[in-house]
Amino acid sequence: MSDWYRDFANSGFGTTITKQLGLPRPAQLRRYEPGQPLLPGPAVVGSAGEGRLRDEVTGLLRDAGVTVVSPVAADGSTDGERLAAVLLDATGLTGPADLAAAHDFLAPALKRLRPSGRVLVLADPPTGTSSPAQAAARQALEGLVRSLAKELRSGSTANLVHVPLGAEGSLASPLRFFLSGRSAYVDGQVLAVTAAELPSAADAEQPLAGKVAVVTGAARGIGAAIARVLARDGAHVVAVDVPAAGEQLAQVANEVGGTAVALDITGDDAGPRLAAQLVARHGGVDVVVHNAGITRDKLLVNMDAARWNSVMAVNLQAQLDLTQALLATDGALKPDARVVCVSSQSGIAGNRGQTNYAASKAGVIGMVRSWAPEFAERGATINAVAPGFIVTEMTAKMPLGTREVGSRLNSLQQGGLPVDVAETIAWLAQPGSAGVNGQVVRVCGQSLLGA
Amino acid sequence: MTRTVLDAPPAMPALFARAALTARGRGGDLPDTRLARLGVEVDPASLAAYSRVCGFPLADSLPVTYPHLLAFPLQVALMTEREFPLALPGLVHVRNQVDQLRPIGAGEALDVEVWAERLAAHVRGATVDLCASVAAGGAEVWRSRSTYLARGATAPEGAPEADVGVSVGALDRVSAQWRVPGDTGRRYAAVSGDMNPIHLTGVTAKAFGFKRAIAHGMWVKGRTLAALAGRLPDAVSVDVAFRKPLLLPGTVTLSTEPVEGGWDVAVRNAKAGTEHLLGTIRPS
Amino acid sequence: MAPQTRKAAIVGGNRIPFARSNGAYARASNQDMLTATLDGLVARFGLQGQQVGEVVAGAVLKHARDFNLTRESVLGSRLSAATPAYDVQQACGTGLEAAVLVANKIALGQLESGIAGGVDTTSDAPMALNEDMRRALLAVNSAKTLQQRLKALSGIRPGQLVPEVPRNAEPRTGLAMGDHAAITAAEWEIGREEQDELTVRSHQALAAAYDRGFFDDLVTPFLGLTRDQNLRPDSSLEKLARLKPVFGQGADATMTAGNSTPLTDGASAVLLASDEWAAEHDLPVLAHLVDAQTAAVDYVHGGEGLLMAPAYAVPVLLARNELTLQDFDFYEVHEAFASTVLATMKAWEDPAFCKDKLGLDAPLGSIDRAKLNVHGSSLAAGHPFAATGGRIIATLAKALHEAGPGKRGLISICAAGGQGVVAILES
Repeated sequence: MSDWYRDFANSGFGTTITKQLGLPRPAQLRRYEPGQPLLPGPAVVGSAGEGRLRDEVTGLLRDAGVTVVSPVAADGSTDGERLAAVLLDATGLTGPADLAAAHDFLAPALKRLRPSGRVLVLADPPTGTSSPAQAAARQALEGLVRSLAKELRSGSTANLVHVPLGAEGSLASPLRFFLSGRSAYVDGQVLAVTAAELPSAADAEQPLAGKVAVVTGAARGIGAAIARVLARDGAHVVAVDVPAAGEQLAQVANEVGGTAVALDITGDDAGPRLAAQLVARHGGVDVVVHNAGITRDKLLVNMDAARWNSVMAVNLQAQLDLTQALLATDGALKPDARVVCVSSQSGIAGNRGQTNYAASKAGVIGMVRSWAPEFAERGATINAVAPGFIVTEMTAKMPLGTREVGSRLNSLQQGGLPVDVAETIAWLAQPGSAGVNGQVVRVCGQSLLGA
Repeated sequence: MTRTVLDAPPAMPALFARAALTARGRGGDLPDTRLARLGVEVDPASLAAYSRVCGFPLADSLPVTYPHLLAFPLQVALMTEREFPLALPGLVHVRNQVDQLRPIGAGEALDVEVWAERLAAHVRGATVDLCASVAAGGAEVWRSRSTYLARGATAPEGAPEADVGVSVGALDRVSAQWRVPGDTGRRYAAVSGDMNPIHLTGVTAKAFGFKRAIAHGMWVKGRTLAALAGRLPDAVSVDVAFRKPLLLPGTVTLSTEPVEGGWDVAVRNAKAGTEHLLGTIRPS
Repeated sequence: MAPQTRKAAIVGGNRIPFARSNGAYARASNQDMLTATLDGLVARFGLQGQQVGEVVAGAVLKHARDFNLTRESVLGSRLSAATPAYDVQQACGTGLEAAVLVANKIALGQLESGIAGGVDTTSDAPMALNEDMRRALLAVNSAKTLQQRLKALSGIRPGQLVPEVPRNAEPRTGLAMGDHAAITAAEWEIGREEQDELTVRSHQALAAAYDRGFFDDLVTPFLGLTRDQNLRPDSSLEKLARLKPVFGQGADATMTAGNSTPLTDGASAVLLASDEWAAEHDLPVLAHLVDAQTAAVDYVHGGEGLLMAPAYAVPVLLARNELTLQDFDFYEVHEAFASTVLATMKAWEDPAFCKDKLGLDAPLGSIDRAKLNVHGSSLAAGHPFAATGGRIIATLAKALHEAGPGKRGLISICAAGGQGVVAILES
């Protein structure tokens, strides 16, 4: 599915026109491909206050083959290679005054940011302090990062990661994700990591090698993209979808070298059946992606019970039941499993005509947060991913006007691709993402809705 | 008895033309004449064409009815002789008996001899038997007797009664059904040389009082034996009576019943049940 | 050499929903359908790029282009291109016979795994050149000089342009299979109502099996079709009673389009393996193929019904395995026609038939109808000739697996040419 407007805006003639008319100029996003370096250029690491992460971050970057250059002075020369990433260690903030240093570091550096550049701010969570001044400064960063994300152009993104004291070891995986092309459509987000037991370093090219991943709703659209990305990262994918979608499901399974399971996940014994098969055929499952979802839109006053019930059954109850069944079946869910639940922007921002859908997707978030502590105890994680406007077969059927407006209402001025959602899920599925738990990661290009 | 040996098979179209021109004014007794050909070799292409039309598998031995094709031109030649008492046009084949004494190889050189006998009285005219004997290496391997009815003809004083009946069992179980295409008569004429106009087209058949063209009796017999391919004794006697004509095109049924190591057979109209062929097949 | 034989395991199966003739698969060829079916099987068992010991399949109605049909389908599938394949054909027994061939090689240790299948299309059926035209063209083709060629061409007549349409008739009898079945139905005095009852049960059982998800891991949709096109869940005796008989005559005309299987398009495949291979691949063993038997009857001149051969094959199989007809938990009797199933069962109950024709001291007896075709059969699913065996094997194997270990099932399939293929499966 091509973005005709983005392609036009990036053509020679289109560039002139859109510039002169002041039209949005969506960029070609840098997306991940195997074998790609973490960053296409050098990174700069600065700090606001006496941070504790700067050395660690610099080390992580160098390990990943990134050239780390000195902070750019306010009046610094403009020669030298342009920056691919700007990282700010803000763990040293004691009060609002320290924020000036953030400004002093960021402003000149951003001038030299390449297209699809990355701004990543690392800070302590605002809740972890008894000092109002410190809490204020930490909270202030959210406003800074979210606004900065809206100011950046040419496909660049800005995100904030909260790293509480003691959770420094959990930073590596999110750091790599946010800097890489995997996070192309993740913008203006705040992520919190927690302390966790981390496995020894996995194969960077195949972080999911030897893992078994089950993906529901895998026959098409985002689900198929998830299956492809998980398989690319080394997982054996068990692709699940309703029996009626069996033909496409088989094609996806065959494409990714996986296994097709035709199953109505809302069926009475769907959970136990799937769990039993995962134990018998695959010796349990490492990654569970609850992706299956349906829409039955109507204004609430006009909505019949069937629309309400079917959406709830597929989008929420099935996620609960399947997860419960996997937890209840001996050997089904590996101790260090990764469960990723697909929520939606609608579940956060609400959407007219989607009371049922938004309720189910908001419910997913509640479920994830509730289960997170129990998962953490067994070394597992459960997270939600909330896609924004993702270009799929479904959106292709929308009226042109609605589609065009919908796709531009975000900081990146374009719709995301199924692969963007898939990359985020695949990252959460990595063994190294053990410190990311109970989070809701929006893949929406910093949508204006519910931001 | 006079025996004439021919060097080549007689030209059938010419014989039929001659028969038509000399049909009138015949009568009297049968001539004591025999016609023969010696060392006849079967043309493989003709054998294949015949097998195809009748449904026989193409093999290295001749279908039981095949030697009839070698004898038939001689029999026609015999019947077109001036002295032959009955007129060939309009003769109806009512019974055919074949005795195969042993399977005949397709490559064997065959001596064929034909003659006529038994001018007999029939309620609707007179019948005559055209006989044939086929020998290989000096020993008879095959013989046949074809009984023809000349409607309206008169047998000489003191002639025996015609014997045209064949008796079979009830045969009430259908074992096969054939759709017989309209061109069956022309196809069989092409491979057998039997150009009798009653088999060729509706128009020519009407001239002799048939509604449509009718199938050759020997085709019906051949087709029936072909349906029993693989289940016939090597030395076999096949005796069939041709009853009502099989109008073309038509759909007929075959009924078979194992009897005394052989078979009773019947070919009937699929709808009306009219009998076209009744026959017995016995080991000999 | 393997010192002794082992029983081949049935790992699972796949088929595409069966379509009515000129229905959803009107444009699909045998190869299209067989390839899609193999791909569905590959997806279900994660066999992408893997080499299976052998793929054995066949079609009853074949085009000249279907030469090496199974191997061509394998090459077009996701299986390793190094997977050998060959074609078989035993009319409606093709699918089961293919499975028996694969199972026997597994039993002998010549194979560790194999796929057996079958496919048929009555929509994309071969249509032959008129025989005269074909011979004329052959002559043109073999002519060496231009003159000969022109002479051969001059032999072609306009009438020869009319193609030969294939007829669903036995070559040796000229009778349609339904005509044959009608003769048998009359002989065994099979009534209209009991045929219609069997038909309704078949539709209801198949629909119920679909509804409870039984076919979720046995069927992969194809070309938009997700269930068998012939399936009528709302089938009833009243509706069936309104149909006019199409086979048989007079009072014996009991067979309608409802209680006979329609012409159908479809394909099926079954994955067989040694227990060891299945274990190595973490694949389930649903059941084992214990034994099989074929029989044939002289329906042309011998006075036996065209579709009665299974009645002869089953007692041989039972005797060899020291079983009685009642020692089974499931019976899969292929519903070519409702009357065929009923006549076969009646024959097994008939002392005279069992004594005179089967040479038995006592009749085989009756079978518990509650165990017969419990997931529906060909009357409801349809019957793409060579694909029926694979459908039945996979269905029965799964039913046995669900019922638990030590259960036994009997398959009985009648075939054109007066043949029958029967087999025993055990969980």
